[in-house]
Amino acid sequence: MNMVVCVKRVPDTAESEVHIDASGKDIDKSRLSFGINECDNYAVEEAIQIKERLGDSTVTVISMGSKESDEVIRMALAKGGDDAIRLEDEAFAGGDGLATAKALAAAIKGLEYDIVFTGALADDDGYAVVPAALGELLGVPHATYVKKVEISEDGKKAKVGRELEGGLMEFLEIELPCVLGIQTGINEPRYASFKGIKQAAKKEIAVKSASDLGLDASEVGEAGSWAVLEKFTLPVVGEMAEILEGDPEETAAKLAGILKEKGLI
Amino acid sequence: MCAEELDFIEKYDLLGCIQCGRCTGGCPVALRTPLRVRCFMNDTQNEERLEELSEKPEIWDCTTCYTCAARCPKGLEPLEVLIGLRSLLIEEGKVQPTVRDALESIFKDGNPWGSPRAKRLDWTEGLEVKTLEPEAEETTDVLLFICCTDAYDPRVMKVAQALVKVLDAAGVDFGLIGEDESCCGSEVRRLGEEGLFEMCDEENVELLNSFNVNRIVTVSPHCYNTIKKEYHGLKHEVLHYTELVAQLLEDGKLELSKELKNVVTYHDPCFLGKQNDIYDEPRYILTRIPGVEFREFDRCRERSLCCEGGGGKMWVESESKEERLAEIRVEDAKEMGAEIIAVACPFCLLTLEDATKVKGVDEEMRVADILELLAEAL
Repeated sequence: MNMVVCVKRVPDTAESEVHIDASGKDIDKSRLSFGINECDNYAVEEAIQIKERLGDSTVTVISMGSKESDEVIRMALAKGGDDAIRLEDEAFAGGDGLATAKALAAAIKGLEYDIVFTGALADDDGYAVVPAALGELLGVPHATYVKKVEISEDGKKAKVGRELEGGLMEFLEIELPCVLGIQTGINEPRYASFKGIKQAAKKEIAVKSASDLGLDASEVGEAGSWAVLEKFTLPVVGEMAEILEGDPEETAAKLAGILKEKGLI
Repeated sequence: MCAEELDFIEKYDLLGCIQCGRCTGGCPVALRTPLRVRCFMNDTQNEERLEELSEKPEIWDCTTCYTCAARCPKGLEPLEVLIGLRSLLIEEGKVQPTVRDALESIFKDGNPWGSPRAKRLDWTEGLEVKTLEPEAEETTDVLLFICCTDAYDPRVMKVAQALVKVLDAAGVDFGLIGEDESCCGSEVRRLGEEGLFEMCDEENVELLNSFNVNRIVTVSPHCYNTIKKEYHGLKHEVLHYTELVAQLLEDGKLELSKELKNVVTYHDPCFLGKQNDIYDEPRYILTRIPGVEFREFDRCRERSLCCEGGGGKMWVESESKEERLAEIRVEDAKEMGAEIIAVACPFCLLTLEDATKVKGVDEEMRVADILELLAEAL
């Protein structure tokens, strides 16, 4: 089984204060730490587990980004990835999920693959577009929010479970090759030891530009996007907003009073 | 696994073991878990069994308190064999998610608590503390090394705040590293992540050596032990805060004016006592606080019962359902009529305080760091 895993290096904003930067089009990342996009970490683990289960398989790691992305690529290589490609070009900047998928598709087209794994969505922009767009561009079926993957014995199909609401799982039979957008919780990602990451640093990461991929600058990045980010703004506190003050007991009582008054409970 | 890692016999001098059993006999966690470290000293001599042995859950019960090594008549360190087995799992990536997250957080943000570096100084809010500049011309007397737990844990940060108040009161010239301070790596090494520990060692030594200071003072005995004994090439002297504060009291630089009319006992942290022979300074400090009636645990000093907070245990839950050692400790303290259990370690503070709640005695007894009691007595 030949597998490709797409990973993205993203800022960790879960515990940090987030501020809009001077351009108004991005957040100030100077004091944030970075790591692998959470869903992508599960996608890497799923590919490695399939490789371990089936044997005779390869896992190629692809990331789009600057040299700093090598850190997350190496982590994936340390866990059991075989090869790596990093897509870097100024022309890729400011792209939406579709533009990203175009660059990824161009890189993947030259490879032999049975399954392309991506994360279900990215922690930073949250578009959740890449797996569907990538499937479309590659001309292969795709499934999103995947929480279970079973490969058929002949290796030609997979049974995949998609996470729906309320604990429901939708099962699909999908023909390979395909693209699977992996949701968190599908497995338990392993730890990549420091020594393992250092060892992985010896593996070559092939860097490719837009022209290496046969793409024109107008097709990728902001120029090749359908959605362009204009600016970030903080939500404006409107007149309808009421901030309840006091200790938790008081505020809970006030909240209950308001809900009752409005006939909501 | 590579051959070098598998050579346990040479690495841990296993053939020197005479199987006397003093290690297991004194092991505090043997009271409540199936861990028998003597067996591991024997069984790990068989290279073929290493993988199977590394998968035994009890290797994670060890708190690395050092009792086994202190009691070994042959000068061996049985706990290191268990750390070696943990290393095999680490290299395979097969560790509990809590351990994985703590280690990844250290790699990414320099602390095991999943908190951003940008929040490392939040505990200093409302305090005036100097942040040191590397290669400064002027010498600062003391560099305070604030443990990750003191910096981020809302309960334990009160201890670091108390330390600032105490040093200010004594007129000590001190400063902090600031947001660039990173985990000392003590727990990293004990969780078996050798490579990451080497990174902590190298990066912290370079950082610490860049400051023009007379000495480094740590809040946690775990940082103290690692920085003092496990780092390579550090040029500064390292003290635990109890050593500095005892000296300040002796020199008459710290005056305690308020009374603390309580029965106080002291729980020896393993990394301060058993591993570094610092027994007298904490007792000296406590008995200088006006009004304090000091009582000793039966198991004190070298025989002190471990709280089970070290050795990476903050991130690994034991499978044992038996009473925790911290709970036994709290019961003993209650029996002797102690109103305060004084500690000098962030992990002891957390485990013992938790145990007072489990035992339902948190109304009548409190757990406090020596520094907090000192700050109250200023």
